[in-house]
Amino acid sequence: MIATHLSRRLLLAGVAAAAGLASGILPAGAVEPRAPTGPIEVTVGTSAGGTPDVMMRRMAQVLQQTGIVKEPPIVVVNRTGGSWMVASNYVLGKAGDENTYLAIAQPMLTTPITQGLPNTFEKLTPLALFVQADLVVAVRPEFEAKSFKELVEIAKKKPRSVRQAGAQVGSTDYMVTGLIQKAGGVEINYIPFDGGGSAQTAFLGGNVDMIVLTIDEALPLQKAGKARILGVLNEKRRTDAELKDIPTAREQGFDVVWGQAWGLMGAANLDPAVVAWWDDKLGKMVQTPEWKKMIADNYLRSEYTDSAQTKVLLKKIYEDHLALLRTLGLSKQ
Amino acid sequence: MMDTLSLLAHGFSIASTPTNLLFVLVGVFLGQVIGLLPGIGPAAGMALLLPITFGLEPTSAIIMLAGIMYGGMYGGTLTSVLINVPGEAASVMTAVDGHQLARQGRAGAALSMAAIGSFLAGIGAVIAVVFLTPVLSSMALSFNAPEYFLIAAFGIIATASMGTSSAVKALLVAVFGLGIALVGTDPLLGTSRLTFGSLDLLEGIDFLPVAIGLFGIAEVLVSIESREEMEPMKTRLRDLWVTKTEWLSCRMAILRGGLIGFATGVMPGAGPTVASLLAYVIEKRWSKNPERFGRGALDGLTASESANNSAVHGALVPMLALGIPGSASTAVLLAGLILLGIRPGPMLMNEQPDLVWGLMASMFIGNVMLLVINLPLAPVFASLLRIRYAYLAPGILVLSLIGAYGATLSLFTVGTTLVFGMIGYAMIKLDLPRPPLVLALVLAPLMETSLRQSLMLSQGSMSIFIERPLSAVLTVAVVGMLLLPVIRMLLARRRPGIAGA
Repeated sequence: MIATHLSRRLLLAGVAAAAGLASGILPAGAVEPRAPTGPIEVTVGTSAGGTPDVMMRRMAQVLQQTGIVKEPPIVVVNRTGGSWMVASNYVLGKAGDENTYLAIAQPMLTTPITQGLPNTFEKLTPLALFVQADLVVAVRPEFEAKSFKELVEIAKKKPRSVRQAGAQVGSTDYMVTGLIQKAGGVEINYIPFDGGGSAQTAFLGGNVDMIVLTIDEALPLQKAGKARILGVLNEKRRTDAELKDIPTAREQGFDVVWGQAWGLMGAANLDPAVVAWWDDKLGKMVQTPEWKKMIADNYLRSEYTDSAQTKVLLKKIYEDHLALLRTLGLSKQ
Repeated sequence: MMDTLSLLAHGFSIASTPTNLLFVLVGVFLGQVIGLLPGIGPAAGMALLLPITFGLEPTSAIIMLAGIMYGGMYGGTLTSVLINVPGEAASVMTAVDGHQLARQGRAGAALSMAAIGSFLAGIGAVIAVVFLTPVLSSMALSFNAPEYFLIAAFGIIATASMGTSSAVKALLVAVFGLGIALVGTDPLLGTSRLTFGSLDLLEGIDFLPVAIGLFGIAEVLVSIESREEMEPMKTRLRDLWVTKTEWLSCRMAILRGGLIGFATGVMPGAGPTVASLLAYVIEKRWSKNPERFGRGALDGLTASESANNSAVHGALVPMLALGIPGSASTAVLLAGLILLGIRPGPMLMNEQPDLVWGLMASMFIGNVMLLVINLPLAPVFASLLRIRYAYLAPGILVLSLIGAYGATLSLFTVGTTLVFGMIGYAMIKLDLPRPPLVLALVLAPLMETSLRQSLMLSQGSMSIFIERPLSAVLTVAVVGMLLLPVIRMLLARRRPGIAGA
């Protein structure tokens, strides 16, 4: 029922489809790729410096530095507001426009659910998902729990005694906490902050016991002795040298698997020739050493899905989020 | 100590290579320009320029981005003083007194004093960052929700003393501001409040368009209706410099503003805007002539300008020592680091000494450059006010509206600005003070979220505000501030009684 789980299964389906392509069976309606004319504007719903913003800037950086896209220029524009809805609506209003794009991030899917609004992703043209981040649960170094099991035991002894800092209710952190509460049958005192940065500050200041972080945020803290990672929320352990000793929540007996993914969408009714161009360019991008190095340096994953696969995958991810938000009582759809 | 000095010397050797000197200059100059433009603050400006740092040496790139960050604090002063439109968020308090000074023909003095204050406070702040970062970073972490709530409450109570009319009026306006701040998405639960189904209102009403409307547009409306105001402001050349008495009266304002600004900047939850507000209200308490505040107090302006620049430097402490963004600008700076392939975090100072110390050294150089740019230009810019107001007014309106649009790229913000322009006009006519509204709007989110977080942390017990040592001190300050007028009133009543006995 979980996004990352499904993504892997779908990826296999994608590989099979690609094999089909290679053997010479072109799908009906295949078109000659065509680059958009005029500058490409990627709309991001967070302010500069937020994770989705950084992901899009990295994409633009690699595409241009490697020369995969020499023309037209790619610009990242921040349109904040309404938990991604301002950005979504801006791109929604640009049907057929080949210069305006929207970054895919979880709030694009979850805000319509929690606010009871019509879905954006069904109307726009999916292009690709290309970056995934793994999440870890970490505790303060002086906190007694050394494993998920001990964490759940402590939380069971006294309900709401374990305090966790995270982003707004309805955010990824909150959904992960919901999964932990369900898997362990416990209640955690979740204290929402106005962003990941403030939540981290509260954690580092010893105001709370526990936090959900991405690996690249958590590793430097663990190295500096400011946090202890209890487990990664993947299906399987990571194989990187620095990460192979971090157990998953699942192998500790708690079925908590969740992750984050980012990608790109085009405006509604985007010309198939331009879609084919993006398939070509982004497919090449994820193969470059520059991109691979960036992914490795930041402990991310890059499971690329092209426009056709993304359309299917996005629907699945949406349904996962809808199901979880419903059980958490946050869905208005 | 010696260690730090040799590291700093190493930093200077990195920062003073011709290439890096050029990047410092480019950064501070761009910051100055970006600060000047209303709406586009340093954070947005840095984000806009992030792509040009790709391919640069990381140290050069960060030096330049940081230059934009503190350069913006110098630049924002200009439009605030000259046309009463805050160039960026942290210059709101400057608009209050700066423009009054300009009308009295003291624009040059206001600009020079702001530049000197920013420079001295900035240099002081960099010295503190150089020597005290490890110590301060743990101090920064001891501030959290309960302390933020008390600081915000302190600020709101202090609004009573703002404005030139009665305290009751000021508090009423502050309550109006708090009410406006409730519009939008609940900061903790993500549910919408008072949005009436409007998507534009989901993000709430940002205070920058409100400030541009209340100060910039309202001022134009009032000015064009009275004929005598159409005369150009008298700015004689000899009024363009700071007099000796002015300097003497502002010395302590720089020190106090700088200290308050730095302390506020170091806290990850409060940025330069809160710093300049706090410095202003506290300066009013200390000032020998508090009645001048709101009517053109040079010391008030100096305190808030010194505070916003030292706060910007202070925000580097949690960023460098812990990898936590303390403000919107440091968030972009961190993003810049990540894009350049450097992972920020607690190990940054050990892993990237060239970058960290080069950056610190560059800030000394950058602040000197900004002083050199701003001091001679202050009289030049002040002379702009010699232009007849009839020609100036349309320009101010256009600049205000472009600024409002530039902040969010949406026409809704332009509408907000116009509405608050009219509200501001009404407030001037009704003799209601405008600063408490803006101040309440800035402090409300901090106050609301931190109160709720505190009570969640303590599971509903108010004792959290006295159990933590820092909170206890702040609680005493807040309660004392509430009781002070009462005690004063009681004493004043008793005194004639004693005399009569």
